[in-house]
Formats: sequence, C-alpha cells, structure tokens
Amino acid sequence: MIDLKVLTEAVEGLEEDKVLELLNEFVNSNPSEREAQDVVSACQQGMAKVGELFESGEYFIGDLIFAGELLTQALDILKPVIGSGSSVKVGKIVLGTVEGDLHDIGKNIFRSMAEAAGFEVYDLGIDQKPQAFVAKVQEIQPDIVGMSGVLTLALESMKKTVDELSNAGLRDNIKIIIGGNPVTEQACQYIGADAYTTNAAEGVKICRNWIQ
Amino acid sequence: MVLDAKQLFEQRLGRYQAAIALETADRIPIAPPMNYLAEIYSGSNHQQNVYDPEKLLAAEMAFIEAFPETDVLRSNRIWGPMCDVLDLRTYSLPGRELPPTGQFQFREEEYMKADEYDLLINNPAEFMIGTLIPRLFGEMGKGSSRSHFALLKAGLAQGMRNEILRNRNYQLETRCGMPQAGLGGFIAPFDVLADALRGLKGALLDTYRQPDKVIEACQVLTPIMARFALAGADPLKRYPIVVPTHKPCFLSPKQFDTFYWPSFKAILEILISSGYKVRILLEGDWSRHWHHLLELPKGSLICDIDDKSDIFQAKEEIGHHHCIAGGISNTMFIIGNPSDIDERVKLLCETVGKNGGFILSGACLIPYETKPENYKAMVDAVMKYGWYDKDFEPKPKQAPTVENVRLPKGCLTPWEVKKEELGGVLGEEDLIRIPWETIEEMAFNWLWSWSW
Repeated sequence: MIDLKVLTEAVEGLEEDKVLELLNEFVNSNPSEREAQDVVSACQQGMAKVGELFESGEYFIGDLIFAGELLTQALDILKPVIGSGSSVKVGKIVLGTVEGDLHDIGKNIFRSMAEAAGFEVYDLGIDQKPQAFVAKVQEIQPDIVGMSGVLTLALESMKKTVDELSNAGLRDNIKIIIGGNPVTEQACQYIGADAYTTNAAEGVKICRNWIQ
Repeated sequence: MVLDAKQLFEQRLGRYQAAIALETADRIPIAPPMNYLAEIYSGSNHQQNVYDPEKLLAAEMAFIEAFPETDVLRSNRIWGPMCDVLDLRTYSLPGRELPPTGQFQFREEEYMKADEYDLLINNPAEFMIGTLIPRLFGEMGKGSSRSHFALLKAGLAQGMRNEILRNRNYQLETRCGMPQAGLGGFIAPFDVLADALRGLKGALLDTYRQPDKVIEACQVLTPIMARFALAGADPLKRYPIVVPTHKPCFLSPKQFDTFYWPSFKAILEILISSGYKVRILLEGDWSRHWHHLLELPKGSLICDIDDKSDIFQAKEEIGHHHCIAGGISNTMFIIGNPSDIDERVKLLCETVGKNGGFILSGACLIPYETKPENYKAMVDAVMKYGWYDKDFEPKPKQAPTVENVRLPKGCLTPWEVKKEELGGVLGEEDLIRIPWETIEEMAFNWLWSWSW
C-alpha cells in the first residue's frame, strides 16, 4: 500500500522519479476509487507545501512550474483509477489572459496552483475579449474571476472587462483578482478589481481567503 | 543659442556617455532604451509602424520635435515584410494575425524537443538550418521550391531591412541630432534556450531533468551570441550593445548561478574587452542576481531597472559600480498624472541621480499607452531638478582603440571542406577563402537572429 506521507513529501521535494514510481506502483495495485482520491489529496497537499516553500522564499517560480508539471503527470497516471466521483471543489474560478495579450505562463502557473488548492478553474485561454469573460461568468456563475496580462495594454483591457461585467450586472456576485507584470495597487484601483498580485501562490491564497 | 544637428548630437551623446561613465555632465540624461511612445507619436497605428518605415521615422521625428530634451531614441527591430517572406511563427504581428492596433508579440513554443540537445551541441549550424529553422518558418514546409525561394527572398529582404535601419539612424543623427540608445544586441545563452528553442517551461524542466545538457548548450551558444552581438554593434563604438534579459526573474539564485550567469558573463567579458559598453535590461525582479554584475569592470554596464525591482536598492547595491537607468513605472506613465511624475522625478534627482551615473527612463521602456502629458511632465521635471552644472558642455568621449576579441568563425561549410570539394584551387587561395568565410559567417549569424 502506498505511503501517503512519503508521496506528499516526494511532491513537496519535487522528486519526479520517486513520485512517478510510487504512483505507477499504486495504479498497478488495482486500487479503489476511494484510495485513488486519497492519493490525489496527498499530491495536492504536496503542492500546497510547494506553495508554502515559495512564499517563504525557499522555492522560486521555476520550482512552481516544475511542480505544476509534476502534478499534471501525476493526475495523468491516476486518471484510469480516479473514476467519475470527483472530489469536492472549494470554489469556481473563471480565468483568462485579457484582450490583446497572448501570454500565458503566469496564468498557467496560477491555474495549476488553484486547481491543486481545490478550485474548479475554467480557463478561457489567451487574448480574451471582455464579452468572453461575461459569457463564461453568466454560464458558470463562478465565485472569482482571474484576469492575467503581461503587456502594458492589459491594464486597459482589464478595465474594460471589469466595466463589461458591471454593465452585465455580474460584478456584485464575484470577486476579481488581476495578476501579471503590469499590475500594481494603483492599477488595481483604476481597473476596479478586488485584489492584485504578481505572485501566483499569493493569488491562490487570496482566493482561498475569499471562499472561507 | 540654437544648436545645429551636429552640435545637438554631440551634446546628447556626451551627456549619455558621461552618465554611463558614472560622471556628471550638465544634467541627468533622459535616455530610455526603448521608446514605444515615440513610435506612435504622429498617430500611425502599430501595423503601419511595423510595415511602413517612413511612417515610423515620421513619428519619431515628430516626437523629437515635441520632446527635444530626450537624449537618445531606439525603436523596435521588427519589420513585418521580413517575417512574412519566411512566415515566421515566433511573432504575431499587428495587421496580420492581430488587429492593426494590436502589439506585436513573441509566441513562445517548444520548437526544439527535449532530446535534441546533442544536435545543437555537436553542430549548431546544422541544428539551426536542419532542425529548428524548418519549424520556425512556415514557408519551409511548403515544398522545396517555396522553401528555397523563401530563403532567397529573406536574404534580399535582410539587405532591405539593413538599409532601412541605416537610413533611419542616419536621418535621426543628421536631421535631428539624435543618437541611438544602443546598436547591436543579443540575448544570454539560457534565454536562447528558454525563448525560441525550448520555451520557458521546457528549459526549466530541462534544468531539473538534464542539467548537464543545458550547461553544455549554453557553453556552445556563448561564442555564437558574442559574435552575433559584435556583428551588429556600432563600428565606431559610440553606443552600447543592448541585451534584454528575459528569464532571470523566473530563476532561483542557484539556477541563475548554475545555468544563466557563467555563459552570460563570458559574453559580457568578450564585449567589454572589445571596447563596448553593454546596456542590460534587468527585466522583472533582478535583486537576487544583480550582485554578480559587480564582477565586471566598473562603468562597463548600464543597468535598466524594471518596476518589479527597487531602484533605490539598485543604486545602493550596484550603482556605485555601474550606471543605473529607470525610475518611472509603467503604471505611472499610463494612469498616473503630471504631479505624480513631477514628485517622482524630483525624488529621483535628489537621490539616485545625485552624483551622476543615472539615466532617467521608464521600466526598461516608455509604454505605448503613456499619456503624452506625463512624458512632458517627466521632461519638465528634469529641467527643474536634474541639473548638475548648466555651464558644462557635454562632448562625446574618444572612441576606444581596442580591437574586437577574435572569436572562431561560425559556419555551416568550413573552407577546408569546400576546398576539398573543389579539388584544390589553382590561384591565390585567400582571394577565394576570405569571401567564402565572410559570407558563411554572415549567414550563420543570420540564423541566430531567429533564436529570440
């Protein structure tokens, strides 16, 4: 039987070979869906530790990206045994890079960390018009909208998106977080978002606090 | 006294060079490494700027007329037709796949596979032309006639582009007295890997999974990028060589020390030994890494501080050794107001600018969305607070007399191989060999212009 503590520590330590070996052994042991869910949780706890190490300054962005890749691989291995009974989600996030901006590295780091923290993330992709955010928010009714951007033009696109969400009468039901290179406190106020960050781990923490 | 273009040029260049040399001239120079506001100043859209060099030049001239206190100018290197003849996949261009008002953007993908390091390490030219280039250029996948024709057109277009740049710089110098912020550029070997070869994610995963290959590839890329930088640099050595640094902000100090710095430092040393200054755009937060810059000779670098780092901390930690540039954040230019700018410039002049070695700029650039009244407020504030000595007349420095460091030549087909194919030559060999090697090297350098 897999030792969940060892697994969590291996994820936390970014020990790729060990994590994959443990998971492959586990999948071959014909586990139940319940056991598989426990293993997923153990991986997610490892990811949470990675986030903590990032916040304490021990890990860096490269480590977060590697951890995200590791988790993706882990879930791919576990897919056949997880079954359809998905675990309880803590909240829903609609996420996207705003109109005119084609960058996605930061957005993807945030997504993998938010998913690891138990959020259901609907990722619209890059270069998304305000209307695309509005339509997805109407469809999904998320708790949070996350907007990402790297270029300076993203500030205006973010503002337009917030304005469109307000015009559609959706603003009061959601929290909005913006992230990426150009965002600052001043930009956050100008855009009308609830929070800003240039740090994916901090962003996920803000989202968790909103949900609690 | 009204200065003519030559006098203005010398005054601006002298002011710029004094700051780089950690000296004080008459005042703090206003010298951003890239000025996007200038590109759109006469109202042309992004597509027009990327496709029509005359519109770009007209915009920059209008900008200089409006803000003559600006000391240098340098605009973007993208020329749309050059990308189109190749169907370049690494950039999205305004008016092509983006709206005419959109901004050109780099498209990072995993163009090189994780198991292809040995191809790059063993034969960089063969790797580029045989493996990477066909993935970067859409035209290469449309049959041999289209592929050959695309490369022929690219060679011709490159000549046109060089002429456009030469003409632009000449016009700005002789008609407006405007020097360049830099001439020639390159990127660090790790950035080559993490931009157009493996992409950030691929390169970072490689640092965990095959660290030795990453280090070896960076070593192979060192002379390649040094040659590339020298090939495009100012032959008169008046202007610095510019290097944006794309990925250090994603690296831990250990990763930076292991994978980024050794090969980057080696290139900087080659360029500095060749008599050049290097303007480094320290993108993102470099504060964990910038102590390394003290390993290079005093006054050899201009360090552009991004708005993710603290310029006051930069001044304290590295500003005693190298010139610091920056000070106004993107947000302040875009959504701030003139009084914010005035206050900020005053503070900068009183602190980081105090004893020279400071260039006023944005965070590695002046954003497209800058409110012109904010740029004006910055200029006006320098005229209020930025003087060292109003009677001082800045003059350019004597060009360094050192020769460029000799590097092994880059090529696909060495002369010895060609000579063998010819069965030897009957006449004077050097008359045939030297042009062969020169053109081989030009073509080799050209290949690497697509690596970022």
